[in-house]
Amino acid sequence: MTLRLTIATGLVVAMASCIGCHDSNTSTQTPADRKAALAESLAVDVSGLKSTDNQPLIIMDTSPLKAPPRPADPTKLPDTDPLRWYDMEYAGWNCKKVNMPISPADGAKGKYVMCLRHMDHPYTTAYTRGMEKIAGAYGIRLKTLTAGNADVNIQSQQVDQVINERPDLVIIFPVDATAVVPMLRKLNQAGIPVFASNLIPVDRGMPYVLTWTGPDDWGQFRMLAREFAEKMNHEGGYCIVRHMPGGSPFFSRTFSVVSELKKIAPKMKCLDMQTTMLEAEKTAQVVSEWLTKYGSELKGIVSADDSGAQIGINEACKNARRTDIIRVSAGNSKVGMDFIKAGSLHAITYQSPEADGALPMKLAADWFNGKTDLKPVYYLPKHVITAEDVDEYLPAQW
Amino acid sequence: MRDGGGTSALGKAAAMAYRWRVWLLCAGIFAVMGAIAPNFLTARNFADILKGVATNLPAAIGFTIVLLAGQLDLSVGSAMTLGGMLVMGLAPELGWAGAFAVAVSAGVVLGLANGLLVAKAKINSFIVTLGAMIIVYNAMAIYCQGGTIATDSFGLSDWLQCPLIGSAQFGAAGANKPTAWLTLWLTPRVLVPLAILAAASLMLRRTPLGRGFYLLGGNPQTAWYSGLRVDGYLIGAFVLSASLSALGGSLVAMSEAAGSLKLGENSLMAIVAAAIIGGTSMEGGKGSVIGTAVALVALTALINGLSCLGAGHEIKLMASGLVLALVILYDAYWLYRKHRTKGQRRDLLLELKTKGAPT
Repeated sequence: MTLRLTIATGLVVAMASCIGCHDSNTSTQTPADRKAALAESLAVDVSGLKSTDNQPLIIMDTSPLKAPPRPADPTKLPDTDPLRWYDMEYAGWNCKKVNMPISPADGAKGKYVMCLRHMDHPYTTAYTRGMEKIAGAYGIRLKTLTAGNADVNIQSQQVDQVINERPDLVIIFPVDATAVVPMLRKLNQAGIPVFASNLIPVDRGMPYVLTWTGPDDWGQFRMLAREFAEKMNHEGGYCIVRHMPGGSPFFSRTFSVVSELKKIAPKMKCLDMQTTMLEAEKTAQVVSEWLTKYGSELKGIVSADDSGAQIGINEACKNARRTDIIRVSAGNSKVGMDFIKAGSLHAITYQSPEADGALPMKLAADWFNGKTDLKPVYYLPKHVITAEDVDEYLPAQW
Repeated sequence: MRDGGGTSALGKAAAMAYRWRVWLLCAGIFAVMGAIAPNFLTARNFADILKGVATNLPAAIGFTIVLLAGQLDLSVGSAMTLGGMLVMGLAPELGWAGAFAVAVSAGVVLGLANGLLVAKAKINSFIVTLGAMIIVYNAMAIYCQGGTIATDSFGLSDWLQCPLIGSAQFGAAGANKPTAWLTLWLTPRVLVPLAILAAASLMLRRTPLGRGFYLLGGNPQTAWYSGLRVDGYLIGAFVLSASLSALGGSLVAMSEAAGSLKLGENSLMAIVAAAIIGGTSMEGGKGSVIGTAVALVALTALINGLSCLGAGHEIKLMASGLVLALVILYDAYWLYRKHRTKGQRRDLLLELKTKGAPT
C-alpha cells in the first residue's frame, strides 16, 4: 500500500511540476516583423516543383464549380441516375461554413501543420512526399500521424491530440467519410483551421472545413467510362470490382461508370459488381466466378484499383484464357502502368499522390499568406492514361 | 552476516517490485514520456489518455473476469462493435435510452450464447468465441451495409465528453491550470467505465460471488467439490464480458456520434495485452481488474507519448509488443526462481554454504 501511495504521489508531483511549463504560444511579432514574414512567404514560388514522375507538383482543375439543381430527394432516384448521388458528388459545394477561422496573414514560414493520414500505404507515402516538398519550400513545420490501419478510433484520438498540441492548421485525410464529421466539428469548435483531403467527407461535415482538396473521382470515372465504352465498341456485358466500403470511392468508382455508360452506351450491360477489399486473391476468386458464370457475355471489367485488385483480375483472366477482356481501372501505380505497357490493362485514371498531398499544403500556405477566397472544393485535373501516353507518367510515383 | 541481511533486503525489494510491477511500469512510462515527449504532461493530454483508456476499459474488465474463470473471450471486440452499431442504428426509432438498453441486451444474449456453448455443450471457449467474433462482425457489416451509422444530433455526444465540473473555464488558455488536472477528465465517458471498474473490483475482492470466479479459475474440480455452481459461474462470466463490451461500445459510439464496423476491430489485442501485463493468469484464478486497468493506462500512455513524439503506427505497435514481451519474460524469470527455491530452507542452505556439510 505504501509503495502504491509513493508511486501515486510521485506521479502527481511529476505532473504538478510540469504545470505552468506549457504556456500558450503568444506571438511577440511586431507589425513590421509580420509584414516582412508575409513578404518573404509571398515570394516563395513552388510552381516549378515537379513530382517524381516529372509532372508538375502543383496541379488543380481550374474550371468553375457549377452544380446542377438538387433533386427534391436524390435517394428516391434509381442507382443508375447520376443525380441519385448528388449529395456525394457535390458534397460541400453549396454549404454554409460555420465558425471559420480568420487567416493570420503573416506568412507561412515557421507555421506548424499537422496531417492526419488514414493509413500507411504506398499511396500515402507518396502523398506525404508531395506535402513535405511544399512544406519545405515555405518553411512550414509538418508533423504527420497515421490512424493505424485506417482505424476510426485512432483517428478520433489523434484529433484530441491535435487539440492538445494546437497546431496552426490541420490537414485531415479521413478514414471514413461519415465518422469524420464529429471530428471536424470538434476541431472547428476548438478554433483550429482544418483542410480535408483526398477522401471527401459527407455533406454535413463540409461546413466545418476551410476547404477540401482531392481527386474528382466522379469526373475521372465518367471519363474512364467513355474510354471503356470506346474500347468495348459501345456494347457487351461488364462487371465492376468495387472499392472498400466506408468511403466515397465505393460509390463514385461504381455508379459514375454505370450512369455514364447507361447514357452513352445503352447496349452495354452491367452484369455484376462486388467489393473484394482491393485484395488480389479475393479479386482473382470473384473474377474467376464471373468468368465462369457469364462466359462470353462478359466482355469487360472496371476496377477501383490498378494494383492489388488489378493483379487479381489479370490473374483470373489469364487462368481462364480470356485475355480478350477489356480492362480499365483507377490508377496510376507502378503495377498499373506496367500492365498498360504490357497490354493487359487498357486505360487507367491519372491520380498523382504527390500532387494530392502538395495541393492542400500549398493552399494552407496561401491561407497563411492571407488568401481568404478559398473555393469549397479543389479538384486535381482529370486525365486517362492509355498505352499512347503512359511513358509520360513514368517513373511511377508509387 | 551483512551478506545475508543484504540479500534478504534485495529479495524483499525484488518481491515488492514484482508485486507492484504494473504500477511501476505505468509510473515509468509516465516519467519517461513526461521527460521526452512534447505536450505529454498537460492536463488536456492526461484527459485524452483517460478517454482512450475508457474506450476499452469495460470490455477489458469483462475479458479479465472470463480469464479469471479460466476461459477466453475473443468476441469482446465484436461485442463492442455490436453495441456501437445497434445504439446508433436504433436511436432514431427508440431514442437513446431505448437503443442503449437494446444494445446492452444484445450483449447479454451474445454472452449467454457463448456461455451456454462453453458450459453446457463443453466446447472450448477459444473456438466458441472465435466463431462468435466472426458471426457478429459480419452480421453488423450486413446491418450497416458496410458503412458507418452517424447522427446529426450532437447533444448527447457533447454531454458525454464534457467535464462535469468547470468545463467553461478550461479553454485553450486555461487547460494547464492546476485545477484542470483534476477536472478536465471528469467526463461521463470516463466516469462510467471507472464506476464499472470500482464495482467489478469490489465484487471480485469483497464478495463470495466474486471470489467464486477465482476459485473456479484456480481449480474447477475443487470449485465443484466446494459446491460452487460451476456452469452458472461460467455463463455469468461470459454474460458479463459480452454485456460490458457492448456497453463500452455503445458509450464510445454515443460519444463519437458515429458507429463504425472498425469500432472494436483493434480492441482485442490491446485488451489481451492489458490483461496479461496487468497480472491476470491465462490459466485462470489469478489477477485483478485493477491490474488490467493500470496496464491499459500504461499502454495507452505509451502509445499517446509515442504519438506526441510523432512516431509511426508500426513503432507504437512494436513498443506495445515489446512491453508485453518484457513483462512475460519477467514473469517467466520470476516463476523460474520461485520454482527453483521451492521447498528449500534458505537459512539452512546459507549455513551449509558457509560452514560446509556436517561430517
